[in-house]
Amino acid sequence: MKTYLFCILAAVLLVLAQPSMAGAVERAEAEETARLLAKLLQSGRMVIERNQALIDDPHKGEKGFTPELFEQQLVREFLAKTGIDLTALPSAPVSILIPPLAKELLPALVQASREVVRDAQVVINQRGIGYKNFIPATYGSQASARFSKSAHVRLKQTAIEPRNPKNEPDEYEASVLKWLSARPRAEAYVSELTEEGRTLRVVMPIYYAKDCLACHGEPKGDLDISGYPKEGHKEGDLAGAITVTAPLTIRK
Amino acid sequence: MGTSRVRLGWMAVLCLCLPGCGLLIDAVEHVWPVSGNKVGIICERERVQVGLAMEPFRPFVFPTIWTDEGARVTGLDVELVRAMTDELSRRCGRAVTPVLHLVRFRDLFRLLNEGHLDWFMSAVAINTPAPARAGVAYSLPYFYGGGISGITTSPAVLERVRANVLEQAIHPSPDRLAATSHALDGLTIAVQDETSAYYYAEANLSPRRLILCDSLPAAFEYADSQAEPRIDVILGAQPVLEYMVKRVRKDWSPLIRENGRPLFLTKADYGVVVAEESYHLRWLLNDLLLKLDESGRLREMRTRWLDEEYAFPRRASLEGLSFDVEQMATHYAQGTCRLKVEP
Repeated sequence: MKTYLFCILAAVLLVLAQPSMAGAVERAEAEETARLLAKLLQSGRMVIERNQALIDDPHKGEKGFTPELFEQQLVREFLAKTGIDLTALPSAPVSILIPPLAKELLPALVQASREVVRDAQVVINQRGIGYKNFIPATYGSQASARFSKSAHVRLKQTAIEPRNPKNEPDEYEASVLKWLSARPRAEAYVSELTEEGRTLRVVMPIYYAKDCLACHGEPKGDLDISGYPKEGHKEGDLAGAITVTAPLTIRK
Repeated sequence: MGTSRVRLGWMAVLCLCLPGCGLLIDAVEHVWPVSGNKVGIICERERVQVGLAMEPFRPFVFPTIWTDEGARVTGLDVELVRAMTDELSRRCGRAVTPVLHLVRFRDLFRLLNEGHLDWFMSAVAINTPAPARAGVAYSLPYFYGGGISGITTSPAVLERVRANVLEQAIHPSPDRLAATSHALDGLTIAVQDETSAYYYAEANLSPRRLILCDSLPAAFEYADSQAEPRIDVILGAQPVLEYMVKRVRKDWSPLIRENGRPLFLTKADYGVVVAEESYHLRWLLNDLLLKLDESGRLREMRTRWLDEEYAFPRRASLEGLSFDVEQMATHYAQGTCRLKVEP
């Protein structure tokens, strides 16, 4: 018993004596959570992309692309990407793989995403209308905005020259995007402390897939189906990034 | 004092019974109007209930589209709603927000008569002689020179109409309406139910068959399916049909006169529809529209939506208005077409 108490005391003293260690733990937790949130949003974007033909089918009214179906596919996609089963999240033990903050925030992002798909039903289920602008980018913008409204962690999609002015990168994001654009495609992400260690920024790059090029590819300057000029990109070019901004409570 | 307490009591009961504040305000308004006229009510509640057809009437009302901000609707009528609400806000001395209700075209009239809407618009002709249009009133026109015309995919129909028009030019008929209508005799004609085109066809044409469609997209879908009887001509609002054949359905051609201009079966101006007894509101709308007309804004809108090259999703993203998604989802269906059965 005495040994046990001693261990706890030692641990507390260690944390108090070395705030930098506590900070490091918090950062690691926040960083992993941010990475998972970005992966989850990316998974949602992929689910939309995979269902794009169905969503834009002018001959079908009720598409059956319900919030429930979307969530099932999102869970599967996220599992494939990270090995984490979101359905088992409530009972999963807290670990390095699933930090407590992630256990709290991942379901919130799933909920925000479901709400976006729910509200889009009226648009998705229109018959006689092909392109409806319910695409990975517009899903991502809405899901991020809804999630960020209710969470203290901010999620955003950004690009060097975004079509939506609200996705304009801030100074930090712009510098990272510039750096990323000069490098070959990679699965890695950028993580950094800003504001004197008070805020964690995570930037996860997104690259253009073949399907994206109908709107973002060649010929540059031609208007795409939604009325924006095409950017002339090629498959694998940097499309932008998902960024996560998480405030840290412990200062460096 | 007694009355106030009873009112407060009723309001408390309603608070418990009704799920939303808007409903509460609307319910109280039905029992005790906030002010003596509709304009006062709108200013007091700081919201104006505007109806728009959920069936697309491009370029007046486009299909709803998803944007970074959520579901949005755009079009000439939507821009007009915004302009009118801005002006209304100035008159009221406080911000008035438009609450858009996208419902079936035929339901707009009912909802207006039931007091759920303050006004509605969707390329509605102000001079359609039909008993079903009784009980409503119209503002000054905001769009001049509309009317009813037709489109077809059949070269034979085009030729037949051209010959008819030419004949009339050479030998003008004393009954022009009947003479023009003869060009469409014996054809299978599709119209959107309860629109001006439907009332025109019913009153003036002798088609072989009249096909009633729930929307213009439904008419196109029916025609594409090659279902029998085949549609020879779709009748509808000329500016809407012109927009469609120029930009969306280029496989259809407009019925034209010998000089290449559209063949109008009748002309019509489009106005804002209000309840017949909303005299104050009608005066106000007339004044708002006159101001927009004199400032050149109405002309600008017409050019912007009818003549310019644009993609409506982008305009929806930049300037579209949101609407009541919950209500839309339960109501929306493009609908179908069916043969009109003669009594």
